[in-house]
Amino acid sequence: MLNISELLDTIKAQPFREIEITTPHTGVLTFASVALGDKVNGPQGQWKEKRGTLLATLERERNPKPICALEKGEICALHTELEGQFVQANTPVATIRHMLTREEVEHIILKKTLYLFRAPERAKYYFTPEVDKKIHAQDQHSVKVRDGMELFIMSRMKREVHLPYTGPQGLIYTVYFKYNENIDAGAPLIGVCTQEQLPAIEEVIMRIKTEWTGR
Amino acid sequence: MMEKNKPKEAEIEQKPKLSLSDHKVLVANRGEIAMRIMRACHNLSIPFAAVYTREDAQSGHVDLARSLGGDNCLYRVSSYHDANEIMSVADAAGCTAVHPGYGFFAEDFRFARRVTKRDRSMIFIGPSWKIIRELGDKINTKRLARSLGVPTVPGSDRPIYDEAEAEHIAKSLFAFQEQQGVTHPLVLVKASAGGGGMGIEEVYDPDQFRSVYRRIRNYALRQFKDEGVLIEQRIKDFNHLEVQIVSDRTGSHPVHFGTRNCSIQSTGRQKRIEVAPGFAPDTLDYSFDAARVLTNIVDYSLTMATKVGYDNVGTWEWIVTRSGEPFLMEVNTRIQVENGVSACISHVAGRGCVDLISEQIRLGLGEDLGYTQAEIATEGVGLEYRIIAEDPANNFTPWVGTIETFHWQETPWLTMLTHVPTNRSYEIPTEFDPNLALAIIWGKNLEEAKERGLAFLSSIELKGKNAAGDELKSNIDFLKANTEHLLRF
Amino acid sequence: MPRLLATVKKQLMIDNNVEKRIVALHERLVYLKDIFAGKHADDVNLLEDRLNSFRLRLKEEDVSDPYTDIASVEDLFAYVERKLDSSITPMDKVRIVRHPQRICLRDILENVYDTFTEVGGQDEYSLDPSMLIARAVITRHRGKKTYHQPVMVIGQEKGHGAEFRNGGSVKPWGNAKAMQFMRVAETEGIPIHCYVFTPGSFPIEDYPGAAQQIAKNIYGMAGLRVPVIAIISEGGSGGAEAISLADRRLMLSHGYYSVISPEGAAAIEGHLKSGMRATPELIEHCADHLHITAADNLNFGYIDRIIQEPALGARPWHFDFFRTLRQEVIRATDEVIIQTRILPVFKTLARNRHTRPNADLESLYIHWGLSAAAKKRLVAKRQKKFLGLSKQAACDHRPWHTKVIENLSDCISKPWISFKYDFYRKHQRKIQTFMEEIDNEWETFKHKALSPWRKFRHDIEKKNNKQGEELTALSAWTKDLRRKKWNYLSPRYKIDQTLTCPNSADYGCLDLWGPDLFGEFAGVCSYCGYHFPMEPEWYVRNVFDRDSVMEFNSEIEAGNPLDFPDFAQRIAKAQERNGTRSGCMTFEARISNIKIIVAMLMGTFRGGSVGAAEGYKFVEAAERATKKRYPFLAYVHGTAGMRIQEGTHALIQMPRCTVAVRRYIESGGLYMVLYDTNSFAGPVASFLGCSPYQFAVRSSNLGFAGPGVIKETTGIDIPPRYHRSTEALSRGHIQGIWDRRQIRANLKQALRTIGGRNLYYR
Repeated sequence: MLNISELLDTIKAQPFREIEITTPHTGVLTFASVALGDKVNGPQGQWKEKRGTLLATLERERNPKPICALEKGEICALHTELEGQFVQANTPVATIRHMLTREEVEHIILKKTLYLFRAPERAKYYFTPEVDKKIHAQDQHSVKVRDGMELFIMSRMKREVHLPYTGPQGLIYTVYFKYNENIDAGAPLIGVCTQEQLPAIEEVIMRIKTEWTGR
Repeated sequence: MMEKNKPKEAEIEQKPKLSLSDHKVLVANRGEIAMRIMRACHNLSIPFAAVYTREDAQSGHVDLARSLGGDNCLYRVSSYHDANEIMSVADAAGCTAVHPGYGFFAEDFRFARRVTKRDRSMIFIGPSWKIIRELGDKINTKRLARSLGVPTVPGSDRPIYDEAEAEHIAKSLFAFQEQQGVTHPLVLVKASAGGGGMGIEEVYDPDQFRSVYRRIRNYALRQFKDEGVLIEQRIKDFNHLEVQIVSDRTGSHPVHFGTRNCSIQSTGRQKRIEVAPGFAPDTLDYSFDAARVLTNIVDYSLTMATKVGYDNVGTWEWIVTRSGEPFLMEVNTRIQVENGVSACISHVAGRGCVDLISEQIRLGLGEDLGYTQAEIATEGVGLEYRIIAEDPANNFTPWVGTIETFHWQETPWLTMLTHVPTNRSYEIPTEFDPNLALAIIWGKNLEEAKERGLAFLSSIELKGKNAAGDELKSNIDFLKANTEHLLRF
Repeated sequence: MPRLLATVKKQLMIDNNVEKRIVALHERLVYLKDIFAGKHADDVNLLEDRLNSFRLRLKEEDVSDPYTDIASVEDLFAYVERKLDSSITPMDKVRIVRHPQRICLRDILENVYDTFTEVGGQDEYSLDPSMLIARAVITRHRGKKTYHQPVMVIGQEKGHGAEFRNGGSVKPWGNAKAMQFMRVAETEGIPIHCYVFTPGSFPIEDYPGAAQQIAKNIYGMAGLRVPVIAIISEGGSGGAEAISLADRRLMLSHGYYSVISPEGAAAIEGHLKSGMRATPELIEHCADHLHITAADNLNFGYIDRIIQEPALGARPWHFDFFRTLRQEVIRATDEVIIQTRILPVFKTLARNRHTRPNADLESLYIHWGLSAAAKKRLVAKRQKKFLGLSKQAACDHRPWHTKVIENLSDCISKPWISFKYDFYRKHQRKIQTFMEEIDNEWETFKHKALSPWRKFRHDIEKKNNKQGEELTALSAWTKDLRRKKWNYLSPRYKIDQTLTCPNSADYGCLDLWGPDLFGEFAGVCSYCGYHFPMEPEWYVRNVFDRDSVMEFNSEIEAGNPLDFPDFAQRIAKAQERNGTRSGCMTFEARISNIKIIVAMLMGTFRGGSVGAAEGYKFVEAAERATKKRYPFLAYVHGTAGMRIQEGTHALIQMPRCTVAVRRYIESGGLYMVLYDTNSFAGPVASFLGCSPYQFAVRSSNLGFAGPGVIKETTGIDIPPRYHRSTEALSRGHIQGIWDRRQIRANLKQALRTIGGRNLYYR
């Protein structure tokens, strides 16, 4: 069984995460009116429909694109020396120190509780169209997985192969991969919650609720 | 669509012709081909800029770019597939031309059009976008060929919408094949708007045709919103040949650099060994006049190239049946992987060895060809092996992992083209073609080339491990086994 | 002792009575303060002082005769109220109808009708408590005879501010309930009395959907075969229209009838973002210029009569007012009945009796049932009435001879068309069937007779085997449709610029190059299929046959009928920018030679808002389609709703255009609607939403109110994509979603499958 208190203590020792924000592609960078130490917001609204604080604008081919903060936090690095410069893809723009929220702590701890189905190879992963549709229409918790179910498409070397799910039957609790992103071999793809686990997971959430306070 | 923008083109014409070294070429590709383009630029004294992605930072082309062009010539982009990145880098680097290599944007007429039509226009090193569009359309190519009397695969040359007409063509095709003595006649039904193997089905029984036709038609309607269907003879037993065409921007006097035979392929129809010239009538026996077939396909290809005003390098792909009948398959409006085998057996009077990529760049930037067909001579036989980490026994599945050792015996008759670094281990990136290296071997005749090929393959030391600790799998044994069959029908 | 007790009792009674009257006066004071919102402070203070001092004196038992004293205070109140009534502003009226003390429908049911039974639910136990429905009875006596005349009473109930009534803001299903009982009344043949007490409909899309249900109501009311009387107190936009397409429209003198609330208009005029508040001055300014009062609307002809209310508006204790209202409602119903009669003598006699000012309608009895023929006349009259409205609010610049010629050609073409379609087509079918049979017989005979010859020919053909050549030579292919070129490209294709697809985060779409996107791709993202908006011209030129588009009525111009400040310039600017005179282009066109009439609302002309000119053109187009027996397509490039700066001139287009559409459909026409980009509010809630065949172009949004308005009016946050066409399709509001590049093919297919023999489906 998981020692939640111990885990929480380790997290509490460093209760933040530094998020480096990089340029998605090449272009000319213009910073918004933000400064080192500023507090910024991540996407907001019930559906995260309002984007985060504008950090900079990246213009490529006469198409200015906003670069926004991805999480709430404080700017702890800002590369203003790049102002007005042409930058390459994946160039760091800013770093945000983000204090972990209760949900994130839950996420970290749950990752150790859930059954994790891992990527067998470095590749890009997608859900099969039917599952993808279901997730888009409802949410991931609506997808029930069972051993041998056609769940993923693994794309690498220009070849796409079906990857069946192996593991206990349950619901997809968390999705750990993103569209069009390479996933290393062994990295978790989804976290599955089995029926028997439900009480345990509820307990974890309860414990975090009571023990992770005042952040 | 933008034909109306004539003034812009005129402006370009009026610009004083730049000398080659006034240009700067953006190498819009990766791996082995990027390296060949950089070397060609270097040899022509043309400055260049290069791109790479985060996943590809360890590729040999990045090292070469640094050593030939310095740190400043390298740009990290988000993806090789994003045309916007290419344009953006080209502007930032002040490039005047873009070389697409093969794959990616090489045959994308929209990309070529954008390169030339954008406000800061550049030269697309390849045929003009209209030619790419014209010859990129298979129906259009087939009709062009037929209009010039160039043989094409029997069957329809336009989308068929009428069921009665479709049945009539299918019936004729079966009868025609029987008449030709084909024992198991086959008819291919495919969606005319399709491509890439989608919406294609074979019919072996005339009675089955109608149901297959309807199925494909409905699929095409659903998938492509166009119920047009093509009906062709399905040819099974053939050799895959191609003709290398080279032309300058005038497009008026294209030359050829002979033929290649690319019949050794993987199960997924991917080429594995290429040989130039396409047949060896002097050393091998054929049931048809092989020398004449080669002459014919070269002539046909040149006829078409002249007709469309083809203005850069390109390849006419042919299939030749066991009875020696050639049919035009398609035109590849780009430099091909295997261009090196043609180059290694060719020389031009007064210029010596040929590098087709240099020729492509030089001509693409507007230089005159400067020689005629008569000044091109060939000697010997060229082989190209594609060395790939894959498992031929298991449907040529790519092998993914880290290469630890990669060595081979250097010889004067061998040109090894690889982006895999030999001084360090290399993790094979997963998002690209799995080619590791191209080995081009020259011999004075087929026998010598094969001998040297086998000797080279035996000298290779290629080792690696994947995440699970399994040994690297490669196609070297497959290449060895198939060397014996080269150019035999 | 008993005497003392009696005195105390009397004292108490006095106190109770006086106390009640004091409370009533206090309420009047509160009301006064509320409706004037800080204005007329002197008068208010005067009344307050007088009331307070009277109270104080009463407390200190300093009053000799409380009855006289309170009567004098009451007189003062009445005097001041009368005085202030003459200086009342439109915005004051808005506050009056919104005040909890304002009369409600239940007050009317209790005081105007003799008995009633609620049938649409009771109090909070109702499908929608804001929509009240009752069967009520009016009892009239003539001589010794008593007549009970049943009516269906339908209206919004504000319940003096009771929360569960939702302020009279009716949900879609509440309007559906209203429609259901109108049908019941129609079946029973009893008149309908509609009482409009609504600030507007509750703008949610849940089935049946705010817009679509209102459209169904308006469409339904346009053909109801019983008399309908509407009485408007608070006539808020679409919610009002849902129950007010009536034979007679009465309006309370202190009510308002408007296309939008003054606050809403102020938010638009002030270009406010959601959450920001308009200044009271701007709101007042808008209320003035929207011309929302009863007098304004009577002047425009959108109501038939004003019912005078007591000073500062009717409240439940104004019993005289209820008597007036009863008289007016009976009179209106009688009049509607009378006007359906044909015999002129009876008609005139009856009318004269009614119009006498001192006529006691209680003792005049007119039977409220109608014969089948009278019902037809009733409906025709109602439709004509609405069709005739608001023409003066558009600028018709058609030269007079055009109109004359049009009328003349009507006289000629009408009989011809009716011969062609009504007579010839009917019999043509029989003739055709007969000819086909003969043809069959002949073919069979020919087949038998010629069979030896055919066999001979077949043999020859076999010998000349040309199969090989046929399979390898170039075939003839005249119709080269392969590389489809658009007839029109968006001018944006000339701009060297890239654009980001809004779906790029979800689908990984790369940036698109403008010249590709707006040229060859027809504005469709090549990765995910998202449709970028295109210009109206794109559709006109690419959907219909080349050179087949013939515009008509282009001279009917959008104007500024209310002289809304600065609006004329804005219209002129839109006209110049768009190159059209109004936001609606009507034209005849062909699709693969199928003739069709199209009305196009252009999102590029003031957001595609519909005013008097647009409505006029739409009605004309529907009538032209009826006359010519062509299919009728409403292509909605985009519409933001009714044009608020035209006030009720715009609002009246909702019932008006719907009537035109209904007449077209009932004459056998095929009416289709195609939504694109963004289509919202009034038009969707009337003449568009009533179409049986509504389609949307991919990536379009449609609905009743935009997210900002929903948040503003209901406080509900709505999810992104709430109004997407896919959602509308799932909710059953539309019938399908089309790819822009397929519009032409889909229209052709729809015309062929839905439209019958002559594409006019009856």
